[in-house]
Amino acid sequence: MNTLTSLFTMLFFPAGISLILVGMFYEWIDRKLVARFQNRIGPRWFQPLADAVKLFAKEQIKPGIVNPFLFFGLPVTALAGALTAALYVPIMGLNPASSFDGDLIVTIYLLSLPTMCVGLAGWNTSGRFSLIGATRSLTQLFAYEAPFLLAMLGPALAAGSWQISTITEYTEGHWLILTQPIGFLVALIGLMGKLELPPFDAPEAETEIVAGALTEYSGRGLAMFKIGKYVELIIGLSLISAFYLDGVNGILEFLLKTLALLFIMSMLQVTLTRLRIDQTVGLWWRFGAILVLIQLLVMILLKGWAA
Amino acid sequence: MKIGTMFKDVFASLFKKNSTQLYPFEQTPTPERFRGNLHYNPSVCTGCCLCVKDCPAKAIELVTLDRAAKRFVLKYHMDRCVYCGQCVVNCRFKCMGMSNTDWEHASLNKKEFTVYYGKEEDIETLLANLTAPDPKPTQE
Amino acid sequence: MSIEERLSQAEKLLAPWNKETLHPESNRVDVVISGEDLRLAVAALQDAHWGYLSAITGMDLGVESGQLEALYHFCNGPAVTSLRVRLPRSNDISIASISDLIPPAALFERELHEMLGITITGAALSDRLFLPDDWPDDVYPMRANFTTDQAAPVQGRHADEAPEQGVVGGNTFVIPIGPQHPALKEPGHFEFTVDGEIVTAARMRLGYAHRGIEKAAESRNWYQNLYLFERVCGICSHTHSMAYCLGVEKLAQVEAPPRAQAIRELVAGLERVHSHLLWLGVAAHEAGFDTLFMYSWRDRETVMNLLEQVTGNRVNYSANLLGGVKCDITLEQAHAIKEGLNYLETRIRHYLEVVTTDAMFLSRTRNIGTITKEEAERFGLLGPTARASGLVRDVRVEAVYGSYKNFPVSAVTETNGDLEARCVVRLKELLVSCFAMRTILDNLPEGPLTARMPRKIPAGEAVARIEAPRGELFYFVKSNGGETPARVHVRTPSLCNWVSVLEKAVGRQLADVPMLLAGMDPCFSCNDRLVTVANNDQHETWSWSRLREYGIEYYKNR
Repeated sequence: MNTLTSLFTMLFFPAGISLILVGMFYEWIDRKLVARFQNRIGPRWFQPLADAVKLFAKEQIKPGIVNPFLFFGLPVTALAGALTAALYVPIMGLNPASSFDGDLIVTIYLLSLPTMCVGLAGWNTSGRFSLIGATRSLTQLFAYEAPFLLAMLGPALAAGSWQISTITEYTEGHWLILTQPIGFLVALIGLMGKLELPPFDAPEAETEIVAGALTEYSGRGLAMFKIGKYVELIIGLSLISAFYLDGVNGILEFLLKTLALLFIMSMLQVTLTRLRIDQTVGLWWRFGAILVLIQLLVMILLKGWAA
Repeated sequence: MKIGTMFKDVFASLFKKNSTQLYPFEQTPTPERFRGNLHYNPSVCTGCCLCVKDCPAKAIELVTLDRAAKRFVLKYHMDRCVYCGQCVVNCRFKCMGMSNTDWEHASLNKKEFTVYYGKEEDIETLLANLTAPDPKPTQE
Repeated sequence: MSIEERLSQAEKLLAPWNKETLHPESNRVDVVISGEDLRLAVAALQDAHWGYLSAITGMDLGVESGQLEALYHFCNGPAVTSLRVRLPRSNDISIASISDLIPPAALFERELHEMLGITITGAALSDRLFLPDDWPDDVYPMRANFTTDQAAPVQGRHADEAPEQGVVGGNTFVIPIGPQHPALKEPGHFEFTVDGEIVTAARMRLGYAHRGIEKAAESRNWYQNLYLFERVCGICSHTHSMAYCLGVEKLAQVEAPPRAQAIRELVAGLERVHSHLLWLGVAAHEAGFDTLFMYSWRDRETVMNLLEQVTGNRVNYSANLLGGVKCDITLEQAHAIKEGLNYLETRIRHYLEVVTTDAMFLSRTRNIGTITKEEAERFGLLGPTARASGLVRDVRVEAVYGSYKNFPVSAVTETNGDLEARCVVRLKELLVSCFAMRTILDNLPEGPLTARMPRKIPAGEAVARIEAPRGELFYFVKSNGGETPARVHVRTPSLCNWVSVLEKAVGRQLADVPMLLAGMDPCFSCNDRLVTVANNDQHETWSWSRLREYGIEYYKNR
């Protein structure tokens, strides 16, 4: 029974197909919001789904010199990493499907897996644009990963555990956005960096390097990388809302909170210019890391005082 | 130095109507001077061919069926025309004008791009002459 | 200094090598010199800081005369001095390069070489710029005896000078930008050698949208050419047509009536608004600031609707006729234009504020691509790119033409010379233009719209210089007294500004390169070419026909 429910969870609900569909819904909301902010109409509700279906139907062209194992395997790995992370995160307003002590670190690693796969894919295809895109992607990974992890660490310290379900139990009733505002801000902007949304989209700056690391991808491979991005979006949003915005309380609250966060992210996307990669790294290592370290310091002191 | 200087525009546009026009369901009327397809009035034409001479794209051909009786047919290539309006300026008798309502050209059939202007019977005569095969020598 | 004083100063400077002096127009002097004295004459003019090199025109004087001629036009305010060098018609004539004295001359000389076959000795670069790689040797399009069947492409041709390719394992690397690239709105090919993210060398090839307009003009009559030249560019089409009309009217010694000239200036002002708003959107898009791109292009719709109301078309307005304009401004339209200008001025002021205060946009534009005034003068920059460095090069101010004497504009300059200064100069120019347009609308002179022009334009040579949105547009029109022109030479402003991009890109990050390209507001004219990397060691340059064959074979064999 346990295996069957696990399989059902992994494949259909709440992870798996329904997660992909909800991810596409969120992606549509993001694109629609950005369009409305720019005084345009924006796509219709089924656009990301239609894009994915179209890409699956298209021919996949493999450049002559790549390693085929990596070329075909990396998109699958990226998507798999993103989907596996969903097992430990409270998505759709339900408790995580499974949990064990230390699964926060595992989840964050699994969420970095798509970015590393993109970097590796870019190196593998070794076209000029892909190489530069891959380098930028990995450089950006080093930039935002540490502050993002530290921002996630804030609630973990407050709850006194590395297990996501324990942390969400603690945050229910405690609105950590009020007590750790800096951590919340860094987490939200860190999520924008992870997803390579503007202003941190230097790795896929279309006016400089066409499509970055994914330039040579087409068809199924590209579709899987994109779907991995959508899944990452929703997992990141649910993680942040579970940690900072009063835990897990059901689907309706989940929708409201994550959509509010998405609104803020779209607004930030639209009003800020793309940063150059050296400016991104400079910004994160100067402001992001320092701010979140100050936050942690304050917290540790307060906790030590209280104890 | 501020961050997000376009914030006001961006936020306000959530409440404003978007500026995309859903063509072809919404169409703004074209202004009066818009240079669309050429229209020709055969009754005033004298066959001076000034319009043909100065067309930059060789889009007009004037076929004279009978000069004395003023029977002309204007063959207009809609796809070659650059819509400059020089022919309209050149014509001294005002037989040419550029329509501002007739400008949508999309078509699946190339034949629609060659337009014959003139009196009905003149056009029929011209087309009959074009499509009729060479007369076979009559057998005696 | 008056025009006569400037011209006599030039004549004095060129006296030692002067073989013959001609005065084709009141503001021009032509000095015939021999090819050997060219460098000395140019050096004399440069040392006395007499003007700047504006264009180099190559002409074929006809098969019977047996001569080719190259004219080097130097402009100082409204005065123009042309150095004429006559060469015999053969396949191995040469002329010394002046590109070490005047860097922008390198591009003009390549045009001379490719189109007329005059070899340039001592030039640094020798590969093709405008013509495709598979163009046959010894076939020169602008020669009088050229026929199109001579232009059959040569199979299997490779590039003349291969760039050094970096291997994947090494550190240097060549990034091709173009011919197809999201950064470029029109095709052009640039190769940037990068080391990590820093650019170490830059190379360029143009010619991707080259349509042979100058050659085509020789077989069309004067009225047909009006519309041909309008279509050299979509964003500055009115200025091209104005320059052509001005050149032809000078030859026919006809002046357009004041009302027509005022309307020409009005349409040119509206076109400038349209062009600079387009540029602002493109520059914002290159920087990654899509919101500014969408909003400025939305506001551009206002000006395009105004142009449609007045002239009848949104692009390629065809407002000009030889001798005047086609369309009049009614009271309603004047009112509509003024309302449109009100709206646009508010928006332009808002964009000016955005561009100068938005911290993140400034981090992409401030102190990037800085060109000092001396460098600008040496590179021979024109237009807003030069004015942003403090160099006042504005034909509307220096060499007043048309109705700019009645409705003048002031030249807007900045001193920094970086990308931010270029944004600011362009936006402030628009405010100046809007003011001038309002003045015109309030004081439109009465009168006819056209003046009578003869069908056969009398023989002669005329030079027309107009300030296009991108800089000085130079037209050289020559007539032999017939119904078709003998030679029309167009020198677009973007051609002069390329050198600055290549020089300034070196040492900057790769991410700044699209911004630098956008900063000089390029308006390309080009041909088709492609670079492929077959594997890490080899490279080839393919022509379009070869690529097409490859595609057909690939799909056949699948």
